[in-house]
Amino acid sequence: MKFKTHYINQFYKILFFAIFCFSVSSCTEQYVFQSNTFESILVVQANITNELKKQEIKVSRTYRLGEKEQEFEKGANVYVTDSDNNNYSFELEDFSGLYVSKDPFQAVPGRSYQLNITTKDGKSYSSTLQTLTSVSEINVEPKVVTVDGIKGAEILVTSNDPTASSKFYRFEYEETYKVISPSWNPDKLIVDPNGTGQYPSYLIVPRDKETRVCYTTKKSDDLILVSNAGQNEDRINLPIRFIDIKSPIINERYSILVRQYVQNSESYTYYKTLKTLSTSSSLFSQVQPGFNYGNIKNNDDPEEKVVGYFEVSSVSSKRIFFNFRDLFPTDPYPPFYTECRTQLLANCWTSKGCAGYTILALIQSPVPEKVYYGALDDMSAIVFVPSPCGDCTSISSNIKPAFWID
Amino acid sequence: MKKIILTIFLLAFYTVSFSQDKNEKISIEFSNANLKTALEKVEQTTGYKFYYDQNWFADETNLITKSYTDISLNDLLNSLFEKTALNFYIIDKKVILSKNSTIHSSLPDNYFSTPENSQANQNTAKPVFHQQYDSIAKSQAASGIIYIGKERKGSELKSYVLSGFIKNIKTKNELSNATIRVRDKNISTVANNDGSYKLTVPYGLNYIDVELVNHKKATETIMVYDNGTLDIFLYESINELDEVVIKKNADKNVKDVIAGVSTIDVEKIKNIPLVLGERDIFRVATTLPGIKTTGEGSAGFNVRGGKDDQNLILLDNAVLYNTSHFLGFFSAVNPYTTSKVDIYKGSIPARFGGRLSSVFDIASKNGNPQKFSGEAGIGSVTSNLSIGAPIVKDKASILVGVRTTYSEWILKQLDNENLKNSQAAFFDGIIKYNHKINPNNNVETTLYYSKDRFSISSDSVYKYSNALISLKWNHAFSNKTKTDFIFTNSNYKFNIDFDNGTANSFDYGYKLNETQFIANTNYSLNSKHAFNYGLSSKLYNVAPGYLNPKTAESTIIPIQIDDEKALESALYFSDNYTLNEKIQISLGLRYSTYSALGESTQQVYKENAPINDNNVIATNYYKKNEVIKTYGGFEPRIAMRYLFTDDLSIKGSYDKTYQYIHLLTNNTTQSPTDAWKLSDLNIKPQEAHQFSLGLYKNLDNDNVELSVEGYYKKSYNLLDYKVGSQLMLQENTETQLLQGEGKAYGVEFLVKKNAGKLNGWLGYTYARTFIKSDSQFLDEKVNNGHYFPTNFDKPHEVSAVLNYKFTQRYSISSNFVYQSGRPITFPVGSYIYNGMEYTLYSDRNKYRIPDYYRLDIGFNIEGNHKIKKLSHSFWNISIYNVLGRNNPYSIFFVTTDGQIKAYKTSIFSVPIPTITYNVKF
Repeated sequence: MKFKTHYINQFYKILFFAIFCFSVSSCTEQYVFQSNTFESILVVQANITNELKKQEIKVSRTYRLGEKEQEFEKGANVYVTDSDNNNYSFELEDFSGLYVSKDPFQAVPGRSYQLNITTKDGKSYSSTLQTLTSVSEINVEPKVVTVDGIKGAEILVTSNDPTASSKFYRFEYEETYKVISPSWNPDKLIVDPNGTGQYPSYLIVPRDKETRVCYTTKKSDDLILVSNAGQNEDRINLPIRFIDIKSPIINERYSILVRQYVQNSESYTYYKTLKTLSTSSSLFSQVQPGFNYGNIKNNDDPEEKVVGYFEVSSVSSKRIFFNFRDLFPTDPYPPFYTECRTQLLANCWTSKGCAGYTILALIQSPVPEKVYYGALDDMSAIVFVPSPCGDCTSISSNIKPAFWID
Repeated sequence: MKKIILTIFLLAFYTVSFSQDKNEKISIEFSNANLKTALEKVEQTTGYKFYYDQNWFADETNLITKSYTDISLNDLLNSLFEKTALNFYIIDKKVILSKNSTIHSSLPDNYFSTPENSQANQNTAKPVFHQQYDSIAKSQAASGIIYIGKERKGSELKSYVLSGFIKNIKTKNELSNATIRVRDKNISTVANNDGSYKLTVPYGLNYIDVELVNHKKATETIMVYDNGTLDIFLYESINELDEVVIKKNADKNVKDVIAGVSTIDVEKIKNIPLVLGERDIFRVATTLPGIKTTGEGSAGFNVRGGKDDQNLILLDNAVLYNTSHFLGFFSAVNPYTTSKVDIYKGSIPARFGGRLSSVFDIASKNGNPQKFSGEAGIGSVTSNLSIGAPIVKDKASILVGVRTTYSEWILKQLDNENLKNSQAAFFDGIIKYNHKINPNNNVETTLYYSKDRFSISSDSVYKYSNALISLKWNHAFSNKTKTDFIFTNSNYKFNIDFDNGTANSFDYGYKLNETQFIANTNYSLNSKHAFNYGLSSKLYNVAPGYLNPKTAESTIIPIQIDDEKALESALYFSDNYTLNEKIQISLGLRYSTYSALGESTQQVYKENAPINDNNVIATNYYKKNEVIKTYGGFEPRIAMRYLFTDDLSIKGSYDKTYQYIHLLTNNTTQSPTDAWKLSDLNIKPQEAHQFSLGLYKNLDNDNVELSVEGYYKKSYNLLDYKVGSQLMLQENTETQLLQGEGKAYGVEFLVKKNAGKLNGWLGYTYARTFIKSDSQFLDEKVNNGHYFPTNFDKPHEVSAVLNYKFTQRYSISSNFVYQSGRPITFPVGSYIYNGMEYTLYSDRNKYRIPDYYRLDIGFNIEGNHKIKKLSHSFWNISIYNVLGRNNPYSIFFVTTDGQIKAYKTSIFSVPIPTITYNVKF
C-alpha cells in the first residue's frame, strides 16, 4: 500500500510538472550554445562630419559573447577618397586604438566620399559613395516641466530645416555637472610618521589636491533617433533629457552638450535596426534577429559580412549651462548624493566604546568609506563623514573640463 | 472431453456388435409418416431401441410413403436419413442417432500422419472429430456451429462450395460489397451487388468472417460437410456514433485521381499513444509524410514546406483559425465528435481556396437518429462527453459534445504559491443538428465554441477563443444534381491581460470575423463526367488590435489600430473525367478575387525605395466600403491518373493557389498571439504553384499500400520579416515586412498496412523549403538576397505508427517521430559601436536546434465485444516520450542589462504516463 501511494505521488508529480511547464514556463533553462558559432567580423565605425577636425575612424573586430575586450584591428591602411580626387589618409593612434586623419579636414557639400580599408591580411574593403547631408542648426534650452506628476528640468532640442531636406536625425548628448562636497574640510588626517607611542597618533595636514569641487561627465547611453519623414515641416522638438528636481546632478551647475547628426534615409534605417536589435526583448515585443547590413563591403568577396555604416553627416551641436536657481528660484535644493551624517569616533584603543582600529583603517584605506571632517582639540574623538560628502573625488573627477564656464 | 471418451468407448465394442447384426433383414411400409413416427415403427418392427434428440426431427417435415422388403436395418436407415442431416450407429439392438456428424468406428489411416500434399479434391480430407472444435464451441456459445451438409463416410471432398446472401438482420435486405473471408485460409470473396456470394470452403471446421462498412463484423463457425447455402446476417453498427467508419475504399490509394490526399478515420486513431490522454486528429496528421509540426507543443503545422498559416482548416465548412488548445498540446477539435478528416496536401480541389498549402476538411459526426447514445472519456487532464439523440426518429438527430480540463482545480490544490495563481484551462463544445427532411432535402447545423485561458508568467493571462456557426442545406434537384447551400461564420479572438500591479499593466486584444456563403453543386453527367461547380464569397472583418492601460495613472498610451475589412469571392468549376479504364483526369479551374475595403487609411510609398516610414509620400483615406485594392486571378487545378495495372498507378498534378490573409509571426515567437493580417494596398496576396508526381502500388489484396510522391512548389510574395522588425500593434505592418520568393521540394515515402494483427504506417520524407528576400535596399535584404532555409525547414523526417493486436481486446501501439532540428538564427558575437555594445547575429536561420525525436507507447484494452452489452469501454495507458528525450521546444535569446542570454524551453523532457478511460453507451 505504501508503495502504491508513493507510486501515485510520483505519477502526479510528473503530471504536474508537465502541466506547469505551460503555466509558469519553469521548463525554460539557460541554453549553452556552441562556442564554434563565433564569427570574427570587421567592425567599422566611421562618421565623417562637416566639422573641420582630425576625423576619427574606429576599426575593430567582433568578439565572443560574454567577453568584454574589444579587439582593435591594427595595421590597416585606412583612407577616405572624395569625388574631387582628394585622398585623406588615416593613421593608427596607439593609445586610443583609433585611426585618425593625418590632417584635419571636413566634409563639404556636393562631393561624394568613399571609405577604403585594406587590412593587414590583404583584404580590401570599401563603402558606397556618401554625400554630406544638409545642415540644420539646433537650439537647446532647459525648461521646467512636470511629467507624470514629477517636476523637473527638461532639456529641449529644437531645430528647423526650412528646406525640409534633412528629415532623419540622430542625437547624442554629453552632460557634465559640478559636484561640491558639502562637508568638506580643507584639512585631512594622516598617521604621524614620527609617532612613537604604542598606538599611532594623527596629524592634521592640509589636503594636497582638489577634493571639494568636481565635475562628472556622462554620455548618452541610448540611440536617439528622430524621423520627420511624412511630416509637412522638418522641425525637431525633442525633449532629449528629463532630470527630476530631486536629482543631485542639478544641485549645483549643470551643462549639456547636444550633437545633432543629420542622416540620410539609409543610415537612419541602419541605426534604427541597430536600436531595435539591442532592445530588450520580452514576450510582448519580439524582435526578428538577423544581420544588419551596412554599406561597407569586401571588394573581392561581396558575401563577407562587415558591420558598420560609413556616414558623411552634417553635425550641429550646442552646449548650455544652468544653475539650479536659474530654473527653480524657490524650490528647495535637491539633496546631495548621499546623506551626510557625521559620526564621532572615540580615538582610544582599550576601553569599551573605543574605535581606534576603525579610525586607523579609515585613514589608511585608499578608498575609505568615510573621511575626516573634524576632531576634538585633544584628539580624543574624531568626526567622520561619508566620503562623497567630504571628498568629491570619491564619486567624481576633480579635473575641470576645458569647456566649463562658471 | 466427454465426447472423446464416448467415441473411444464406442469404438471398443464395434467389431463385436456390428458383425452380429448386419445380416438381419426386415420388411416395413410407411404411409405419410414423418420421420419420427417412421422410426417408432422401425423400433416396433425390429425391437431395436433408437436413441435421439426429439428436436432433431422438428425440421424434418417430409412425409415418407414407401415400402421396403428384405432390407437390412443399415440400408433402411440409410434410405430414411438420406435427405436429412442425421447419421446413425447401430450397436447391440440399439441405434444411436447423431445429427450431422458420423460416429466413426475406426480412425482413418491417415489420422495421425501429416497430410499429404495432394491436390486431388477427393478422399483425402480427414473426418472431423469433435475434439477439434470442442474448446472453440464453448467460446462461440453465442452463435454456435452451423453445419453445412451431412457428413458422408468416405466421400469427403477437400473443399465445397458455400453460397448464400449477406443480409441486414433487421430489414432482411441484401447487403452488397461485404467481404467474406475464411479465417486463416487466405480465401476470400466480395458479395455481389445483390448480396449473393459464393465461396470455396475447405472441408471441416471453418470460421467465416464477414465485414462490411457500417456494420458489425460477423463471424460464423461452420462445419462443412458438403456444398451448401448459408445466409449471413449483419448487425448495423449498434451505435452509429462509434461506427461511422469512413473507410477508404481499399484501392483509393491507387485509383483516385487526386494525389496527396490522406483521410484520417477518427475511430481508428484511438489506439495511437496519447499525450495527457487526449486523442488528437492533428497529431495523427503530423505523422503522415509531408505534414510537420513546427515544434512540440506548437500550434501550427507545415504542409509540404508551407508556412503554418497556409492551411485551410475547415470544421463542417467553417474556417477554424486557431486549431489548438494549451499552446498546441491538444487539438481544438474534439475527436469524439469528429467522424473524419480529409487532408489535401497535393492537388487541392477547385472548390477549396484561400490558402496555399493544404486543406483539412473536418467533418463532425451526426447524432444517432435511432436512439440515445453517447461516449464519455476521462483522462488525466481533460474529460469529455458526447451525446447523440434522435429528435425525430430516423429523421433528425442532435449531437452534443463538450470537453474541459480540470487542471485549474489541480493547480489550486498545490502548495506552491507561484503555481496556485497560475491558470491553464480550456473548454470546447460542439452542437450538431442534422435533419433529413425528405430524400431530397437535408439540413445540417453546427455550432462550435472553444476557449483557452492560461498564464505564462504569473502576471499575465492569455485568452483566446474560436466561435463557429455553420449551416448547410443539401438539396437534390435531381438524381444527378445536388447542391449544398452553406453559410458559415467564424470568429477568432485573443486577449492578453497583463497586470503586475504597476502602471505598466495593460489589456491587449485582437479579433477576426469572417462570414461566408457557398453554393456548391455536384452534377454527374454520366459515368465519364462528374462536375463540381459553385461560388463562394467571404467577408472579413478584422480588429487588428488595441492596447489599453489598466490603471488611470498608467504610462501606457492606448493604441487602437484601425479595423480592416475585405471581400474574397470565387467561382469554380471542375470536371472529373474518366477518359478510359486507365486514364482519369480532374480538371479544375477557380477564379478568385479579393478586395480590401475601407474605411481605412493606407500609406503610399515612394517608388524604387524601400517600404519604410522614411519613404511615405502620401496617406490615402478610403471611405467605408470603398475598394482600396483588388487582387485576383485564375487558379487552375489539374490532376491526372494513369493506371498501369489494377494495383499500380502514376498520378501527376499542377495546382495554383492564392492566399489573401497572412499570419504575422516571426520565428522567435513563443506567444500564441499571432495576428492575422489582410492583404491591402501594400501587402500583396501570396501565390503558389505546386507540381506533384506520385507512384502508387497496392499489395496483398489492397492491404498494403506503397506510395512515393514528389513535389516542387514555387511561391511568391511569401511573408518574411525585416531584421529588427516588430509585429505587435504596428500601425503600418508593411514597413516591418518583406515579401519574398519561396521554393520547396521533397519526396515522401509511405508504407501502410491497413489490416491484420500488425497494422500502421511508416513514412519518410526528405523535404526542403527556402525563402529569398532580395532587394537593392539594405533593409529589405536577408542573407544577402540568397535563398535560405525557412524556420520550418526540416530535411529529414521519419514517422511510424504501429499497432499490434494481441487479441480483439488487447493491443499495443507505438508512435515514433524523428525530425531534423529546425533552423535558428544565433547570436555569434558582440561588437562595440558608438560606445555601445551590440550583439552580432548570424545569417538568418544559419544554425539548427538539436534534432527532435520521440517514442510513445500505448497499451489499449477494449471492453468485451458482446453486441448486446449496454456500454462499451476502452482503456488506454500511454507513455509519452518513453525515451525521455529533452527535445527543445524553442531556443530564444533575451537581452537584459546589455547581456544576451540563450534560453531553451522544453516541454515533456521526461516520460509522461497517462491513463484514459472511455465508455460508449
